[in-house]
Amino acid sequence: MTMTAFLETYGFLIVSMLLGALLGLSVYLPLMAGQLSLASPGFYALGGYIAAILSTQVFPVTEGSFPLLELLLEMLLAAIAAAVLAIALGIPVLRLRGIYLAIATIAFVEILRVLALNLEITGGAVGIFGIPQPFQSQIGYLWIVVPLLGLSMVFLYRLESMHVGRVLRAIREDELAADTMGINPTHYKLLSFVLGAVLAGVVGAISAHFLNTWNARQGTFDASIVYLAFVLSGGSRTFVGPVVGGIVLTALPEILRGMAGISGLPIWLAQFLQDGRLIIFGLLIVMSTVFLPPRGNYTRTVTTMAMAKAAARQRETRETREGSD
Amino acid sequence: MATGIIEARMEQHGQFPLLEVQQVTRRFSGLVAVNQVSFTVAQGDIFGLIGPNGAGKTTLFNVITGLIPPSSGQLIYQNQRITKLQPHRIAAKGIARTFQNLRLFGNLSVLENVAIARHTHRRSGLVQEILRTPRAIAEERQTHLKALELLAWVGLAEKAEQTARNLSYGDQRRLEIARALAVEPRLLLLDEPAAGMNPNEKAALSQLIRQLRDAFNLTIVLIEHHVPLVMGLCNQIAVLDFGQLIAIGQPEVVRQDPAVIAAYLGKE
Repeated sequence: MTMTAFLETYGFLIVSMLLGALLGLSVYLPLMAGQLSLASPGFYALGGYIAAILSTQVFPVTEGSFPLLELLLEMLLAAIAAAVLAIALGIPVLRLRGIYLAIATIAFVEILRVLALNLEITGGAVGIFGIPQPFQSQIGYLWIVVPLLGLSMVFLYRLESMHVGRVLRAIREDELAADTMGINPTHYKLLSFVLGAVLAGVVGAISAHFLNTWNARQGTFDASIVYLAFVLSGGSRTFVGPVVGGIVLTALPEILRGMAGISGLPIWLAQFLQDGRLIIFGLLIVMSTVFLPPRGNYTRTVTTMAMAKAAARQRETRETREGSD
Repeated sequence: MATGIIEARMEQHGQFPLLEVQQVTRRFSGLVAVNQVSFTVAQGDIFGLIGPNGAGKTTLFNVITGLIPPSSGQLIYQNQRITKLQPHRIAAKGIARTFQNLRLFGNLSVLENVAIARHTHRRSGLVQEILRTPRAIAEERQTHLKALELLAWVGLAEKAEQTARNLSYGDQRRLEIARALAVEPRLLLLDEPAAGMNPNEKAALSQLIRQLRDAFNLTIVLIEHHVPLVMGLCNQIAVLDFGQLIAIGQPEVVRQDPAVIAAYLGKE
């Protein structure tokens, strides 16, 4: 197979894999500060609708391919909209911790989905069709996606190696202790939440063009779980984890489909390989939670509290004994 | 002229009030953990806070550092009211603390634990750091040097690269002190700094606390159970029992106080 033929055949998959890596990073960013947010699909959907509406209804129709400059403008507007919405959502919601934050962000994604289903401007249940293409073929999207992923990775690499990254990890480890060291946790939690939202919004704007159509199925609870699986399976210690997780797990259904095609498999197994994507993602989340060491604030607080109680009790007995001697 | 001399002498003898605790009460539903407690910590003091388990000592620290608001009462620090400020604001004003039950950033290195507490003294923000401006890089180097210097003070410089939670218990206690010092506080609150240490380590810690006070011009309030250590180290002692202040004064005076003897040894 020649290179061109390979790219033609697998172009869609390759771009999807890199978009997956970016979405993994958008979940990872708030997680750096210990915030388990599942809001990424909401911002992703928002960004997509902004691009879809602008390119089909607002921008003038152009001959040939859609101008790249307009795509960049859409990405910028998607980023701004995501940031504004993230600040408005983040201020009340980031007071919640752990699972409560996750639930609140799921609710946010659902609200946006229902809105998209019922509003006229978003095309209701049908969605928006015929979003114009800036490139001749789908592989052309690499011109946008590769630089974006590259920039995001440099950004995260530098973030992690400097003070702000250290501050985010400190908040993840122990928010109260970080607070008494002069760090405003709300400020940095909001920062990482907004950065994640901006990235998801920008990816949404690209995806709307890439997928040619946009509807309410783009930002759902399923997507929340899939993006979370990107991060958890790749590992949440450094930004490399979600990138690898996003790439591998996006390719996984295709690989499974290929495996299902192998002759001689029992029918139930072939069908499971083909349709059981979410089950397999769910299993991956469960396994990574069980086998990777826990780092959540909640677990840590509970164990340290128990240890401190035990230590105090021990000390008390020791002192009583010393006193009576 | 004359007042200048008097002021200088007052400063020398630690007469300037740095922290005033005024009628502070903290209730947890039915329980009164701290009850109408008032005292003044003067500049340069090593102020001991003692009392049986559950007397409300740590609760009082939590109130001073803003982790929990007082139910009533006021806290005055350097003539400013700090009641109900958020913890990071209080830290920025120059009050740092350690924790009885060790709240280090366990998965971070020893050096990073100290570097984080330089936060209020850093000027470059996210954008400069991402762009790697010369100033951000210089500041990062400064932060590392300062952190290493503080680690050297508490004898942990060689362990700077280790993960904090892998340190021994005593080392973790010393790391908490280094981290608090990185805030550059004027008032340092130590919550049972000698807990879990053997007699030799306790003696060395006493020495260290005195040295730190002189070198960094600190005022120190410490909670401690080990009475000989407190008596030897502190120039002022306050005794809490069931949330109430039952005695306050110089060690020799407090030691003779009948109420203190009753609280510690039980009534005859």
